[in-house]
Amino acid sequence: MKLYEYEAKQIFERFGLKIPRQVAVIEKLEDIDSFTLSFPLMVKAMVLIGGRGKAGGIKKVENIEEAKKIIEKMFQTSIRGYPIEKILLEETVSISNEIYLAVTTDPATFDIVLVTSASGGIDIEEVAKNNPELIWKKTIFDNAKELDESITEEAVNFLLKNFPEIPEIRNQLQNTIKSLYSTFQNIEAKICEINPLILTADNQIVAADAKVVLDDNSLYRQEPLLQSMGIDPRSKRHDVSEQTVFEAKAYKIGFPYLDLLENPDNFNEEEDKLYVALVPGGAGYGIFSVDEVVNVGNRYFDGKVVPINFMDSGGGPSLSKVADMFHLLMDHPVTDLIITSRFGGISSCDVFIRGLIMSLRDRYLQKRRMIPVYGRMVGTDLAAAREYLEKAKRETPEPLKDLHIVVGNQKIMADVIKDGIEYGFKIKQQEIRG
Amino acid sequence: MSYMKNEKLNTNQGLLYYLIKQVRPKLAEKINQSESIETMIVGLGRQGTRHAQLMMEYGTNVTCGVAPGRGGTKVHETIPVYDSAEEAVNSHPNIAVASIWRHYSTAKDATIEVIRSGVPIVVLISEFIPLKDVRNILVEARKHKTILFGGNTPGIIFPPEAIKVGMLPDIFQAQITEDGTIGPKGVTILSRSGAILYHMSDALASAGIAQNGVLGVGGDGAIGSRFVDLVSLVMNYDNTDLVVVAGEIGGMQEELLAQDMINHPEKYPKPLVALISGANAPEGKTMGHAGAVIAPGQKHGTFNSKKELLEKAGAVVVNHQKDLIDAVKTKLNRTYFEVENYYQRMKKKWDEKSPEPTWGTLITKVVPNNLIIRGYPLQEIIAKKGLLETASLLIEGEFPVGEMQELEEIGINAAKEEFLYNDKISKESDVSKLIGTFLLLDDKLSTFAQFEKNPSKIVVYSLGRVLRYLSIYFGNVQKIDTQSKENLSFSDLLYLGLVGEMPKDKMKIKLLEAIITACVDHGVTPPSAQATLILASTRANYEVAISAGIQAITDVHGGAGQKAAEFMLSAVKLSKENATDLQETTFELIKKTIKSGKRIEGLGHRIHTQDPRRDVLWDLSEKAGYAKECVAVSKIIGDAFYRVRGMNLPINVDGVIGAIIADMDINPKLAKAVFVFGRTAGLAAHYYEEINTQPQMRRIAFDKAIYKGQPIREIPE
Repeated sequence: MKLYEYEAKQIFERFGLKIPRQVAVIEKLEDIDSFTLSFPLMVKAMVLIGGRGKAGGIKKVENIEEAKKIIEKMFQTSIRGYPIEKILLEETVSISNEIYLAVTTDPATFDIVLVTSASGGIDIEEVAKNNPELIWKKTIFDNAKELDESITEEAVNFLLKNFPEIPEIRNQLQNTIKSLYSTFQNIEAKICEINPLILTADNQIVAADAKVVLDDNSLYRQEPLLQSMGIDPRSKRHDVSEQTVFEAKAYKIGFPYLDLLENPDNFNEEEDKLYVALVPGGAGYGIFSVDEVVNVGNRYFDGKVVPINFMDSGGGPSLSKVADMFHLLMDHPVTDLIITSRFGGISSCDVFIRGLIMSLRDRYLQKRRMIPVYGRMVGTDLAAAREYLEKAKRETPEPLKDLHIVVGNQKIMADVIKDGIEYGFKIKQQEIRG
Repeated sequence: MSYMKNEKLNTNQGLLYYLIKQVRPKLAEKINQSESIETMIVGLGRQGTRHAQLMMEYGTNVTCGVAPGRGGTKVHETIPVYDSAEEAVNSHPNIAVASIWRHYSTAKDATIEVIRSGVPIVVLISEFIPLKDVRNILVEARKHKTILFGGNTPGIIFPPEAIKVGMLPDIFQAQITEDGTIGPKGVTILSRSGAILYHMSDALASAGIAQNGVLGVGGDGAIGSRFVDLVSLVMNYDNTDLVVVAGEIGGMQEELLAQDMINHPEKYPKPLVALISGANAPEGKTMGHAGAVIAPGQKHGTFNSKKELLEKAGAVVVNHQKDLIDAVKTKLNRTYFEVENYYQRMKKKWDEKSPEPTWGTLITKVVPNNLIIRGYPLQEIIAKKGLLETASLLIEGEFPVGEMQELEEIGINAAKEEFLYNDKISKESDVSKLIGTFLLLDDKLSTFAQFEKNPSKIVVYSLGRVLRYLSIYFGNVQKIDTQSKENLSFSDLLYLGLVGEMPKDKMKIKLLEAIITACVDHGVTPPSAQATLILASTRANYEVAISAGIQAITDVHGGAGQKAAEFMLSAVKLSKENATDLQETTFELIKKTIKSGKRIEGLGHRIHTQDPRRDVLWDLSEKAGYAKECVAVSKIIGDAFYRVRGMNLPINVDGVIGAIIADMDINPKLAKAVFVFGRTAGLAAHYYEEINTQPQMRRIAFDKAIYKGQPIREIPE
C-alpha cells in the first residue's frame, strides 16, 4: 500500500527525521480559507504516483491569489490517470544540496538495501545510469532491526565527501540514515525513500519529499500506525489509478479482476473485432490466457481478437462465486464471447459447471444479456460434472444453447481457444447480418 | 502396454533424492539404506490435514506432523504429532522434506524452526507472509543451505517416484519405458504459478513428453530458492533432459537466471525452454500474484526484458501452448510414453467417483462372526487373558509387559477406596443409570483421570471404581472392604464384589472374568460407543464421556442377558415341574411368549450369524462345571425359535451370558452388570483414540469408520 507524501512525512517525523512544517492538507479550494497562510508556500498534489514534479504537481507560490489559482487548476487535473484529490500546503525550505536516501528491497535477493547519493533530485535515475559511481549502495543481509553503526558511518563518509565536514551535518546525517532504516523496519515497509533529502543553507537536514510503500501482507499488524493516519486496517486502501466499475464489483464479490481496456463501460467497439472475456482458473493461467487469446488472434484471425480482462478464478470457487464471475462478464457491454477453463486439480469440476449453468438459467429467466460460453473442463469429479451438464442441456436446452464445454483433455486449451474464437466470429457476423 | 500404477522408481534414482544429496550427502546415505524419503507436515489445520491424506494416497511417506499443543496425539490415526519441529526431527532424524501449512501470522516461526532443525528441503505453502518475516526466513535458509520452495508454492511433485509434497494434483506423467516400467527421464518444470502447470503438463503430455519433477517456486514477490538457485542444480541431474521454466512478468528472477547462464554457461548443460506469461499485461496493475506486476519505469520485470535476456542466454522463449510443445519436441526429438496411455489414465482417474470420506480406528475390527481386538481374535483373548490385561491392550495396542503388578494394584486399590454416594440414589434403579451417575459423582475418579498421564492406568482405575459401584449395587461392598489385601487378586475381588462370596472353585472366578472380558468392545458403531465418541469429540472429561456411553446401555443395547437368563430359568423350571423334555418345553414357551407379543431376548445379532464369543464361553462353562440346564437351553433355543417362526435367530453373546449366569446360580441382574463392567474398558479406549487422533468437534460418520489397526496375529505366550 502506498502512502501519500504528507502521511509518509508524518511517520518520518515520528521516528525523528526533520520535515518541513505542514500547513494544511486540503480536499477542495475553499478549505484554505480556514488556515492562516504565510508565504512563500509549497503547493503539492497528493497522488500515489511518481513524476509529479515534471507533471506540474509541485509549485511554489508567493501569495494567496497565486495559491488559489494554482490549487484550483490542480484539483481539475490528474497525473497519469490519478486524479488529484488532496493537496498539501507546506513551508518552503532553502536548498543548499539535494541528497538521495532510500531504504528499499533488493529485487534479486529480497534483502534490504540502503541507497544514498549526494546527487539527489529529480534526475537521480539519470545519475544512476550515467554516473553509477555517485551512488552508494549497501545490502543488509541479516535483516537487522537497527542499522549497524559501521554501515551508517560508511554511508555518511560517502556523502561527506561532497559537503563541508561540520560535526553538525555529520550528526544529522547519521541520525537521518539510522532513523529512516528504523522507520522502514518498524512500519514494515517495502520502500522508504527521500528524494530530495535537503541540506539547507543553515546546515539542517530536512526530508523535502517522502515515498513510502507498505507491505500489504503486514498491514494486519500495523493497526496502530494505520489508525493514526485514519486508515482502516481491515480494508486496504485501493492505491492504483481509478478502479473501473467492473473492477470495483469484482473486488466487492471477492476475486481478483482487471479490465484490460480503458474506459470499459464506455468503450468504442470495432465491429470487425472479437472481444473475448476470460474465466480462466488460477492467477498464473489467468495471466497466460490473456496472452493465449492474443497469440491465437494474431496467428489465425488477423489480429482481430481482443482479450478484455484478467481474472483469477482461483482453485475452487464456490457455486455462487462461479455464477457471479459469469454474470460480471455477461453484464460487461463489450463482451462477445466468454472463454473458460476449469482444471479441477484438488477441487471439483462439478461445482464449476453447476455455477456456470445456474448463471445462464438465471439470466435467461430474467431476460438479461446472454453471451456464448466456450471452454473446457477436466479434472476431479469430471464424470459427475459431465452428467450434470448433459442432463441440464436436456432439461433446459434454451438457456444453454450457446454453452459449449469440451469435456476431457484430448484437446489442449490453445485449440479450444481457437475453436471458441472461430465460433465467436461466426455468431457475431450472424448478429451483425441479422 | 498398460500403465502400472503400483510401480515406481527406486527412491535413490529420483530427482528428489538427487536434490537432497546435493545439500545433505550424509542424510542421502541414510535414505539410500532405508530406501524411503521421510517427510513431515507442519501445521495441521484443515488444509494441512487434508493434504497429508492426499500426499499419502499419492505415495508420499508422511512420517510425522508438527502442531504446537498437540504433541503426543496422532493425525490420520497413526501419524505421530509433535509440539515442535525439533522434537519431530529428534525422533525421526531421516526427515528430508517438510511442508509448512501454517497461517501467515505464524508461518515465520514455524519455518525458521524447521530450517534450524536441519531439514534440507522445505516447502512453504503458506501465502501472504509479511515481507519482513520472509526476509528472516531467508536469512536462516541461507545459513543452513536449505532448499526453500515458496511461500505461496503449490508444492513439488516427482511422478516417477510417486512422491509429492504440497497440493499439486496427480496429473503429471512419468516416463514409461519399453518394458512397461516407470522410468526416471523427462523434462523438469519449475514454475512461479500453480494453475499454469496444469496446462503445461497437459500440453507436454499430449506430445508424449514426461515430467520427472515439477517444482513450484512460489508466486509471492519474495521467495526462497529462485530459478537461478535451482535450474543449474536440476540440469545436473542425469535424467533431466530439458528444463522448462514457467515465468511471468514482475520481479527479476528470469533475468537473474539468464545473466547467470550468460556468465557461467558450463553450469547449464541442458536445453532451457522458458514460457513467460504477461506479454499483454498492463503496467502498474498487479495480476493475481503479488510478484506479477510491472512497475512503471523499471528496467526489469517486463515481458520483453525477460525474453530478450533469456534468448541472449540461449534459451527458447515461448508465450503459447503450441509453441511450448514445438520447442520441447524440437529440442528433445523423442517421446517418453504412448500418448493414448496418458489419456486413458487421466480418463480413468477423472471418471472415478470421489471416494467417500472415511476415518480410521485401530481398536476393533468387526466382521461377521469375528471380532478382532488390536489384531487378536476376541475368543482367544477371552480364553487366555484377564480383564485388566485386555483393558490395557485396548488402550495401548499391546498386552502389558512387566507392568501387570502395578496395574493390578491400581485396580484393587480403586475398588477398595471409599466412594461416598448419595443415599437418595435408589439402588433399585437400573444398573446403567446407577453406574453412569456414580461415574459422574466420583471425585476420586475425576481427579485420577485428570492428573494421571497413562491412559492404561486410568482405565484400570476406573474398572476398579466400577467394581466398587457394582459392589454397592449388589450389597457386597463391606465384604470387599473387610477382605485383607494379601493374596487377593483383582479377579478374586471382582467375584467377591459381584457375587458376594469367595467360591471354593477358582474356575468360577475365571468364568465370570471371561464373561466380562467377552463384553469389552464391539467397535465404534454400538450406541454406547457412539455416545462416548460424540462427547470425546467435544473434549468432554473422561468420566463424563464414559458415563454417557454406559447410560446408552439399556434393554435394547447390551442389556438382554438378564431377560434371557430369566427366560431360560423359567423354561428349566417348567420342564422340571411338568417333567417334560427340555427341548419341547423351550419350544412351547417360545410359542407362548411370541403369542403374547413379547420378544425372546438373547437371540440374533445385527452382524454375526454365529457370535464369535459363543463357543469359547460355552467351553469355559463346561470346564468350570457350570454348563447345566440353562446352558443346555442356550444351545437349543435357536433351533426351537426356528420351529416357531421359521427364522434363523441364533443365540448371541447376551443369551450365552444369561444362560451361564443362571447356571452359576447368581443374580440374573448380573448379566447386564457384567456387560456394563466390561464395556467400560472399550469405551475408554474409544475415548482416548478420539481425543488423540481426531480433530475436535468433527462430524462423526460412524458407519464410515475403517479398521486400520494390526492385522490378525497370535496372542503371545
